[in-house]
Amino acid sequence: MDTVSPVKSLTRRISTTVAGVAGAVVLAGCAQNAPQDTWKPKGDNAQMIYSLDKLVFPIAGIVGVLVSALAGYIFVKFRDKGQAIPAQSHGKPIVEIVLTIVPALILTVVGVFTFRTIMDLAETQDTEMIINVTGQQWWWEYDYPAQADQGITQPIITSGQLVIPEDTNVLLRETSRDVIHSFWIPALNGKKDAVPGRIHLLRMQADQPGIYAGQCTEFCGLSHANMRMEAIALSKEDFAKWVANQQKPYTAPAEGTLAKEGEGVFINQCARCHQVNGIKDANGKAIISAPDENVYSGAAPNLTTLMTRNTFAGAMFDMVNQKCRADVWDAKSEDFGAKYLAGVTEDCLNEKNLRAWLRNAPAMKPMYADPAKLEKTNGLYRGMPNLGLTEDDIDKLVAYLLTLK
Amino acid sequence: MITPGSKYFLGLTGLGLVSAVLYCFLVNPSDLGAYALFGLFISAALIAGFSIFTSDGDTDSVAEAVEANTETTAPSFWPIVFALGGALTLLGIATNEIVFVLGLAVLVGGAVEWVIDDWAEKASADTEFNSFIRHRAIGALDYPGIAAVVLGVVAFLFSRIMLTVSKDEASIIFIIVSALIFVTGFLLAAKPALRGKSTAIISVVGALVLAVAGVTSALNGERKELVKYAKEDPYSISHRECGKEAGEHYDHEANGSVSLRSGVIATIFVEGGKIRAQEVGLKRDVQAITIPRSNSTTILFRNLDSEEYRLVANLGEAKVGTTDVMEKVGTCTQLTGKNEEQALTVTIPKPSNPEAPYTLTVPGATGEIKVVVP
Repeated sequence: MDTVSPVKSLTRRISTTVAGVAGAVVLAGCAQNAPQDTWKPKGDNAQMIYSLDKLVFPIAGIVGVLVSALAGYIFVKFRDKGQAIPAQSHGKPIVEIVLTIVPALILTVVGVFTFRTIMDLAETQDTEMIINVTGQQWWWEYDYPAQADQGITQPIITSGQLVIPEDTNVLLRETSRDVIHSFWIPALNGKKDAVPGRIHLLRMQADQPGIYAGQCTEFCGLSHANMRMEAIALSKEDFAKWVANQQKPYTAPAEGTLAKEGEGVFINQCARCHQVNGIKDANGKAIISAPDENVYSGAAPNLTTLMTRNTFAGAMFDMVNQKCRADVWDAKSEDFGAKYLAGVTEDCLNEKNLRAWLRNAPAMKPMYADPAKLEKTNGLYRGMPNLGLTEDDIDKLVAYLLTLK
Repeated sequence: MITPGSKYFLGLTGLGLVSAVLYCFLVNPSDLGAYALFGLFISAALIAGFSIFTSDGDTDSVAEAVEANTETTAPSFWPIVFALGGALTLLGIATNEIVFVLGLAVLVGGAVEWVIDDWAEKASADTEFNSFIRHRAIGALDYPGIAAVVLGVVAFLFSRIMLTVSKDEASIIFIIVSALIFVTGFLLAAKPALRGKSTAIISVVGALVLAVAGVTSALNGERKELVKYAKEDPYSISHRECGKEAGEHYDHEANGSVSLRSGVIATIFVEGGKIRAQEVGLKRDVQAITIPRSNSTTILFRNLDSEEYRLVANLGEAKVGTTDVMEKVGTCTQLTGKNEEQALTVTIPKPSNPEAPYTLTVPGATGEIKVVVP
């Protein structure tokens, strides 16, 4: 009976594992549902990067394969088999010159095109609209300065989902309130760091309406992996509707409704950090939140039109259920605007997610929100703490939040 | 026993001590002179001690005489390095932290090399073998260490030159030097016959040129604008001293404050006695600027008129301490001359009231810019 030697057995195992991992990596590249695929540009800026990639990747790939193959061949062919050391020689000017000039030429070609792309991506002269983008642990805030030519007569503030008009050169002015973050919507442009005390500019343009997913790409603490974002491109008509909705005055829930009771819970429990523009206390005085007194970054998401966005908690959770989500994500370009602008209806609300979040937010998303462990931040939270709400309060709050759209 | 040779050093020790004590009392105990005299005292005492310990080098036995006459491998320069390190360390204590650290490094390096030298010399009677084991013991550290020191000196001298000449000249020098290095390297590689003397001549000439140029540049100092930027204090730009010119936090080099330009969200201009604003990214004038809440934000003020103006930020009202008394909150730049700029850094924790937004004004100029904090 033949026996397999331990060395051969080990070699076979290693080969199988390597082949398995390589196969899995290759197959992962074939994923159909990969919204953060860098090679599916949906805007001019991403297209520029893609065009550069198309040039650089084949060159880098060919060079990489050639070098690896040559190295492998040399390792195997000239491995130590006990043979005598061959005659040693030094210097071969022709080979050395060729091996210097050829890489230099390759790098020159790559460098010229890369440099041109970098310059093109840094262009801001054609800006049609500006949006301030502020990162903090672990969500993104977007505020739109008044720009009459875009129909924005009063500043707009939102979070999680960046809404832009299609085919418009938008300039994001990025900064951060705490640590360095990085904004990246692969389908629309490359990544750009958001650094405290600095304002970095990033162009953004989408060819057609749709949702484009992104992810913070600079490690920024405990929930870095959960700091997501989505860019929503709307047709210009739909964008105008979205703007109009964002700017409409606050309407308090009708007296005697569950939502009205929820407004009371909100004022008592949530308004310390979360602003709802236009909300007033029992004396008719405008309530101004004070996240700077409670949160390390000094900000918490503005919830004035919470139910116009279909994610929450740094775009980590869906505000709508699976069916409604698929409805919006899979909508055809021409239907997308209407479906997105419908917002979160009672039928579509992902109540399970929202209730769980209100019940105990830190259990849903890792955050520094344990009141007993806030010495380093002088008692300030990084993220939302567990408010200890009763189920009754949660019912009321859900009813109230549903009115915020 | 006090040997004849040690008497001189003992005398020097006493003289050094007395001089140092007198200097401390009569002149200044923390003066450089006091350190020098104490240094003299310690050095002389050390040598006197050695002298007594070795009986002025006289031998008591034949064995000692043989050992004393055994030929050493080569004169070692490490004791000199060690002494230099000691001097630099002492000097550093009195003058500069960098000199102290440098002295300490030289002192330790010199000591280690000296000890290894000493050990290797006595390893065997074969000087060739001794040299070999010395190389085995510390050769691997010698070359990188010396290379690091040489590279450091070259980089330092080159940086002095680059910081002295103008930006354009620096670019040209950089291109020429790079090209020279490349061509020289190429020639030496292609023509091995050029190596040897030629390499040595090129290295010596290059080192001399670099040393002379570097030292001359260092003596001339950095170019003007760098001196200005180095003095800039980015935090001084944000201040709350409206009305008090050239106060403690006055930004004397406002026009040179480049470090905060990358954090500017809008620029406010005064031109023809009127105030106008431009948001960064938008190439048109706006009537209101929007700045994020609870975040440090810089607004640039540029005066294009011949009259001096200041930018004032009116940021609403706030309670005074724990009282109910309200006071106006505001901040401003210093007076800014024609074509000058100043930056105003603000952090506003509360959103602005739509009915009474924050404003930016320029006393003496017409108009105002609304500041919206969403």
